[in-house]
Amino acid sequence: MPALMLLPLRTLSPIRLLPLLFALLVVAWGGGALSTPAVAKELAIGITQFPSTFHPNIDSMMAKTYVLGMTQRPLTTYDQSWEGTCLLCTEMPTFENGLAVKENLPDGGEGVALTYKIQPKATWGDGTPVTSADAVFTWEVGRHPESGVSNAELYRRILAVDVIDDKTFVLHVDRISFDYGLVNDFNLLPAHIEQPIFEAGPAQYRQRTAFDSDPTNSGLAFGPYRIDRVVSGSEIALVPNETWWGTAPTFDRVTIKVIENTSALEANLLSGAIDMVAGELGLNIDQALAFEKRHGERFDIEYESGLIYEHIDLNLDNPVLQDKRMRQALIQSIDREAISAQLFQGRQPVAHGSVSPLDWVHSETAARYPFDPEKAASLLDEMGWTDIRDGVRHNADGEPLTFEIMTTAGNRTRELVQQVLQSQWRNLGIDVRVRNEPARVFFGQTVSQRNFPAMAMFAWISSPENVPRTVLHSDAIPTAENNWAGQNYTGYNNPEMDLLLEEIEVELDREKRKELWQRLQEIYAEDLPVIPLYWRANSHIRPDWLTGVRPTGHQAPTSLWVEEWGHEDP
Amino acid sequence: MLNYVLRRFAESFLVLVIMSFVIYGLIGLMPGDPIDLMISADPNLTPEDGARLRALHGLDQPLFERYLRWLGAALGGDFGYSRLHNQPVMEVLLPRLWNSVLLMGLSFFLALIIALPAGVIAGLYARSPLDHGINLLAFAGISVPPFWLAILLIMLFAVNLGWLPAGGMGSGGDFWESLRHLVLPVLALTLLTAGGIIRFARAATMEALRQDYVRTARAKGLSRTGVVWRHVLRNAMIPVVTILALNFGALFSGALITETMFGYLGMGKTIYDSILGNDFNLALIGLLLATLTTLLANLVADVAYGWLDPRISLS
Amino acid sequence: MSAGGTSPRRTQTPAGELAAAATRALAIPRRVLWRRFLQHGLAVFSLGLLLMLILISFSAPLIESYLGVDGDQVNLFAIKAPPSEAHPLGTDDLGRDLLVRLAYGGQVSLLVGLAAALCSAAIGTVIGLISGYYGGRIDALLMRFADGVIALPLLPLLIVLAAIDLQKLGLPAAITSSPDINLYRIVFLISIVGWTTVARLVRGATLSMRAREFVRAAEALGASPIRIMVIHILPNVVSPIIVATTLSIGSIILLESVLSFLGLGIQPPTASWGNMLTNALELIWDAPALVYYPGALIFITVIAFNFLGDGLQDALDPRSTKDSGLFS
Repeated sequence: MPALMLLPLRTLSPIRLLPLLFALLVVAWGGGALSTPAVAKELAIGITQFPSTFHPNIDSMMAKTYVLGMTQRPLTTYDQSWEGTCLLCTEMPTFENGLAVKENLPDGGEGVALTYKIQPKATWGDGTPVTSADAVFTWEVGRHPESGVSNAELYRRILAVDVIDDKTFVLHVDRISFDYGLVNDFNLLPAHIEQPIFEAGPAQYRQRTAFDSDPTNSGLAFGPYRIDRVVSGSEIALVPNETWWGTAPTFDRVTIKVIENTSALEANLLSGAIDMVAGELGLNIDQALAFEKRHGERFDIEYESGLIYEHIDLNLDNPVLQDKRMRQALIQSIDREAISAQLFQGRQPVAHGSVSPLDWVHSETAARYPFDPEKAASLLDEMGWTDIRDGVRHNADGEPLTFEIMTTAGNRTRELVQQVLQSQWRNLGIDVRVRNEPARVFFGQTVSQRNFPAMAMFAWISSPENVPRTVLHSDAIPTAENNWAGQNYTGYNNPEMDLLLEEIEVELDREKRKELWQRLQEIYAEDLPVIPLYWRANSHIRPDWLTGVRPTGHQAPTSLWVEEWGHEDP
Repeated sequence: MLNYVLRRFAESFLVLVIMSFVIYGLIGLMPGDPIDLMISADPNLTPEDGARLRALHGLDQPLFERYLRWLGAALGGDFGYSRLHNQPVMEVLLPRLWNSVLLMGLSFFLALIIALPAGVIAGLYARSPLDHGINLLAFAGISVPPFWLAILLIMLFAVNLGWLPAGGMGSGGDFWESLRHLVLPVLALTLLTAGGIIRFARAATMEALRQDYVRTARAKGLSRTGVVWRHVLRNAMIPVVTILALNFGALFSGALITETMFGYLGMGKTIYDSILGNDFNLALIGLLLATLTTLLANLVADVAYGWLDPRISLS
Repeated sequence: MSAGGTSPRRTQTPAGELAAAATRALAIPRRVLWRRFLQHGLAVFSLGLLLMLILISFSAPLIESYLGVDGDQVNLFAIKAPPSEAHPLGTDDLGRDLLVRLAYGGQVSLLVGLAAALCSAAIGTVIGLISGYYGGRIDALLMRFADGVIALPLLPLLIVLAAIDLQKLGLPAAITSSPDINLYRIVFLISIVGWTTVARLVRGATLSMRAREFVRAAEALGASPIRIMVIHILPNVVSPIIVATTLSIGSIILLESVLSFLGLGIQPPTASWGNMLTNALELIWDAPALVYYPGALIFITVIAFNFLGDGLQDALDPRSTKDSGLFS
């Protein structure tokens, strides 16, 4: 018996076992592996991030905004042409139409009363109408100190909410800014579901909210879709919401699959497990470009560059960087056009300042700094960095011209650009050293507490005509005293800029405001507190049969218009 | 025996408490707390907001006090909420724990049934071409960069051949879908694990063959196969069991790369994300569960010792 | 937490066996050792292969000047170029010569592997010697400490250590701003968690040495403990250390690649095989060569170190020659 036992063992050496295993695999799974082509009227979307919560007003993250775009609608938003528009309301309040009225505040300032009318047919998925009571409740949650709502500032600015009738309410806001009618972050909460939970314990509300404890509750949605199933971390399935007031959506089922690894995301697209990759949370630009090269005929690929501003913050406390000429030399020694053309095939255009060329206030006249190594070299010489040793410039004191550049470790595109810049600066005798950190350290501490010695490379994500007050105003410089509040990480301090920022915010006249914006961009280009790099593009990859997806180029996701998406029969 | 197991349980519990403090401290030492991240993400947060949120999350207390409060709540069964998932920690972890057990269990089992016989055979036929062949495969498994292996598997099976999904978990509920999604990660982990087991089994077998009682048995005229079955295998299993127990714990939290590459929701990835995302509660409980698994596996190994080797008494 | 099951804590040999081998290797003349090593064909082949890889890696500047290229010079107009006369293996995603990058990457990967393995071995040897020689409470304390290090979750530890501001620790700016700081950091990180295997080996071997007559005699003659440890015990426990260290070089090179994958490894533009592989993963569809080459080099190098360790172990263990299997 033992001898017999050994014989089969001998033949079962791993080398012979392997083909056998593979054969088994083929038999077991090969047959069922032919992926069924997407049945018409179903849509599977791939994204790279799972929402940490489904509560519309707690934590802002793109994955959540994307999903909620299909199940809810904010009162107002920016549309594809970057104009403010009503989604849940019926008419944008303006002074002209009388829905916005100036009013005096108790402290002597001037505020505004804004009247909003909710879409008459807007109804939560369980049949309860969306009413002004929901608006009041939303405001109460927002301003409660323990509710954990992220954008507390919005609710602080709203002094009171008056109910006119079931579908009409008035917001009393404590200031008049030029975009006074827009309350884009004001997402209505279903009072009939959430109020009891909130009142049972405001401090526990953010954890107990039905949006997370019972996300498939149909009463949480009033948009074209409602959430049908959630597989935490991997999948969200949506089905049409019967109470939706607008055009009925085309797809009977939308599945949003979360695949964080972009190589795997691409493989899923190719194998047909997903139909499209959302541009908002999808492939890197170079992956998308490579993908287009190979599969361009099967998919529609649209690159939408918008309001994601990749740049390098310069620490202006650094004595060498304090000299404006040094900053100008730095920017003129790098060939951003070549980077854009060669690395991004022109899909991510060069940025010349913080205002997007797609924005109506963009300045064509502010100074620009094309690649000009001779000019850069002469500036460097002028400042005394003349002695080139081992390829690095030194000044009269024998100090080398060296900087440290930091960015988020693991962001491939940034690391690529970083190396190109480093190489180009080296050609001018500027020694730039890379020290990257994981995002949580980089943003959590290094940047926010201004611990980067010279350069920090990252992106600002903004909305149309976004006043960069928190980034450029001198009172937004984070310090230990102010508990590291503010985003003026460069430490930029220019009284004229401060004044401009304050004026733009409250200037209601479009033409006058445009002039102020022009001036702002001129100063920005002159002072160069940051090195502008390029405008990041979202790469929307769609099957050729999908129609009606219109990228916005800003923070509002395409899913806010999901009912316009259609299926074109081949 | 019972006494021994009880004492080991008590020891394990003590180790867990100490580990919980060390892990808590480590995470607390990491730069940037959740509120820092929120402040940097939202320009409108004022210093007062920051202070308010810190107080709300209990982050304004000294680390040690926070730890004591956490320990008190945890001993009472309240593990808190996950910041990244906005759900009770256990609700996040338990399904992933199950996923991990499935992934690990399957690949561990497969690795065992391939590697144990292969390792023993290699030991028995030491320095024969068969041994060299098995060795080569074993070293290959040990030496391959895990994410390289994963991407090669994805390329071959998911993209070029189109047999298997490239990653993800499969739509919940559909058994065959879930199974199809398991194949590649299990295959990758099996290949990565089997090499080590083969090496250990081979070394243990060779060591057992050197023992005097094997020679005695041979001298007494017992057949070679009889020696193998009666003496060698049993003794070879002892070191193998130890090392497997140790490895099981590492496997448990250590499939991180495989999980990441295949988009599989297991413990490794969850713990990794929670650490990077500053999700204190989730990271802590996840790491403790991983530690607990290692401790339990060791306990099982020690008990198995007693069973395999009557010379060791557990008292 | 170990990543992918490739932590340096895992050697492929049960500690007990190595320790036992230590006490047996005493009397073998070097020539015999060499001859026995030569019998292990794969190990010899591996040694040759490794020497060749090391040679190629460290002649990177020569390759550069021969090809007339600069390994750091980005060329945006020759991205992902196919092999040509100027670039035998083509160029990478920034137009740099792939062959030169691989050679420089090899320097870093091999150096990190070697340095971290040696540091771990040094720490482990000292702790193991003390633990085994003094025994008792010191031994118990050190070994529990080792257990603790093994159980420590690696990832938060690495993140914490990676975020420490070295200048605040009083290190001179010349070191902290050096481009090699990354390298030191990785070596340090791996060493402080990787020493436990060697410590256990050395402890075991020292325990058995302590009981030997010549150690007793030295003690009786009044030799100081340090002298006994260094002169009498250490030489006799060298062989398991060598074997374990050789094996660990391979796993450290693997670990470096895994750390790169997690964003905690060597940072670009310094090339290592690990970060070259990680950075190329996303390009697998577009430029698979960028994935194949560094991956294959890591694979081959690690496997070669494993065979080398295997061969060394056989050579150092006197029983191994007659020790053929039951059936072979």
